[in-house]
Amino acid sequence: MSAITVPKVRRRRPSTGVALSRRAGLVFVLPALILFAVFIAYPLLTALSYSFFDWTGILRGDFTGLENYVRLFTTLPYSEDIPNAFVHNLLLFFGAMVFQNTVGLGLATLLHRTRRFKRFFQTMYTLPYLVSPLVIGYLWSLMLSPLFGPVNAVLRAIGLGELAQPWLGNPQTAIWVVVIVTAWQWIGFPVLLYGAALGGIPEEVDEAASLDGANAWQRFRSVTLPMLVPAIGTVSVLTFIGAMEAFPIPYALGGSQGNPAGATDVLSLLFYRTAFESGSSNAIGTSSAIATLLFLFIFGIAILITAIMRRAERKLF
Amino acid sequence: MRRRILTTAALLAGSALALSACAPSASSGGDQATGDEVTLKVWSWRTEDVEAYNTIFDVFEEEHPGITVEFEAFQNTEYNQILTTGLAGSDGPDVPMVRAYGQLQPNIEAGQLEPIDGEVDGLDDIAPSVIAGAKGKADGKTYAVPLATQTLQMFYNKQIFEEQGLEVPTTWDEFIEVNEKLLAAGVTPMALGAKDDWILPIFADIIGSARYGGSEFEAQVLSGEKDFTDPDYVASLQLITDLQKFLTPDVVGVSYTDSQIQFTSGQAAQFPGGSFEIATFRNQAPDLEFGSYQVPLPEGAVLDAPVSPAYADGNFAVNSKSEHKEAAFELLNWLATPEFGQLVADELNQFSAIPGVEYSDEVMKEAWANYESGQAPYLLLVDFRYGEPLGTAVLGAEVQKMFLGQQDAAGAASTLQQGISQWFTPGE
Repeated sequence: MSAITVPKVRRRRPSTGVALSRRAGLVFVLPALILFAVFIAYPLLTALSYSFFDWTGILRGDFTGLENYVRLFTTLPYSEDIPNAFVHNLLLFFGAMVFQNTVGLGLATLLHRTRRFKRFFQTMYTLPYLVSPLVIGYLWSLMLSPLFGPVNAVLRAIGLGELAQPWLGNPQTAIWVVVIVTAWQWIGFPVLLYGAALGGIPEEVDEAASLDGANAWQRFRSVTLPMLVPAIGTVSVLTFIGAMEAFPIPYALGGSQGNPAGATDVLSLLFYRTAFESGSSNAIGTSSAIATLLFLFIFGIAILITAIMRRAERKLF
Repeated sequence: MRRRILTTAALLAGSALALSACAPSASSGGDQATGDEVTLKVWSWRTEDVEAYNTIFDVFEEEHPGITVEFEAFQNTEYNQILTTGLAGSDGPDVPMVRAYGQLQPNIEAGQLEPIDGEVDGLDDIAPSVIAGAKGKADGKTYAVPLATQTLQMFYNKQIFEEQGLEVPTTWDEFIEVNEKLLAAGVTPMALGAKDDWILPIFADIIGSARYGGSEFEAQVLSGEKDFTDPDYVASLQLITDLQKFLTPDVVGVSYTDSQIQFTSGQAAQFPGGSFEIATFRNQAPDLEFGSYQVPLPEGAVLDAPVSPAYADGNFAVNSKSEHKEAAFELLNWLATPEFGQLVADELNQFSAIPGVEYSDEVMKEAWANYESGQAPYLLLVDFRYGEPLGTAVLGAEVQKMFLGQQDAAGAASTLQQGISQWFTPGE
């Protein structure tokens, strides 16, 4: 490497302070790039290409264009299952968002103020997040069992017997059980993230507002909350992706059919059923179409949320 | 220079990783068809039966010198994918255990299995609804030897029946009376876990098959003479609502495993279920004394004798890419003999698909005798799992709605008809 090229590199990236040639940089990126290409980009593109063909078992048939996609919206069971499952995915998202931005943010704020037991509580709230969601779902299904579950037993014991019901057997309650269990499991995530963000807000700002005569709520509303917008953005995007891809908890609570009677069905379950449990010989084509649509939707909306949050941040600073 | 070495090294490491991820493992040596020694690879999803299968294949190896059977079992839930990959590649099994009926079709349509008509003897003696599970829907050829038969019937707790002074019912009125008495005595008459939808079409057929006409109705539906909106079929579904008060309370909230515990712990006196339950009940409650019976004929039944609906569970096929087809067919011929059938009964505690097998277990003997006296297909599994939506899945969800009061029998029947019409054309 000659001495002449060095200033050029410096000029291009003034902030890093480390001069790396493009080739050396590539070497560092390469392992990740190969892994990404092999395990993410390649399967994604294959699924996309599969969705345009007619399949018999694992034999690829004729190119059928968008026929698999059209079928998703025009023939049973897909034309009924997709809107039904999609609404449940949205419920999961909104339920989790509401829960995380009220209870989660509240807990994070409270924990931020406490000194004693802070770590302890943080760990406690994060614990469910560290347990496999499949296990969480299974534990809740045991707790809510109308025959042997402790939830109904406790309700009866404290005289609230009329509230005891087959939580997972009633379509009206079953989906809310899924929503609440999901939100409950994820609560540790915003607690950690908001906790870190709160720690990053300089105390001087809060102090200054307090000297200006702002009360606690005003300080939170007009000082802390705006400073948390980047964190809220991150939580929103990740919650959205998580809610759209939700699988283990609905599966553990309602099985692959989204029992009872499709009341807990979500898009990933529909994909799973189509891909692995259907007797249809075109399972690969149809399920690839579902997967592709799901990906495009998640990708599009995630970009949208990020853009909106970016704009909100830009207004802020 | 040094940098270039680094680049090359990283590239190599990366591509090695990528290659090892996609490449099939090198084929194990020693199974070339040199001389007379042949090793047959047999794949299965029965991880719990590995020892029993090894015992069974020891018998085969002794009688067929020169052939060694290498039995390998994979996780049940992963098996379809593993098998599909195995059959597509060069390192797959010679004799794979394959699914039955609709779930077998993708392998057949992809040309991965060898037709066995004319190659294997003894297929004619197998019950038609069982061998149907080993046939290609499109070409009607047989592709596999059925392994096991599952029969569906009502199990009952002998101790509870004795304590309550009850007898096995032989008429519908007696059946209702038994349930009324149990209910009055504070025992749940029948345990059912309707939270798991797959058990519900089984329940529907246990109580309703004779009502709608069993295999007679099957023939009429397949030919297009009747469909599921037929009054007899609707009436058979109506029985579900009629019997709901005798089922586990909050039935749609109860899981299948909970209902098993209800029965084995003596909280419920009866359990409508498949013969696959026998082994589970024995494991969960070794002291439980139980038997089984066929649900008596309801009023207006099309059939004149009660039946046990049944279906084939698992088949053995030959990989069309196998290098040892001759030996594979030798094995398949043996799998179709009563000798193997007896081993299935004794070692695996399953009903063999091969006739002429004796069962030593009392409960199995009783259930098999019932089945021999009156057979029917488990209709929705045997004939209506060849396309999306599966007949069993549609009816499962509809029965849940019936339990929840959101649907009536006629509505459930017409939804079922509408669902299977998506892919089923009568007379084809």
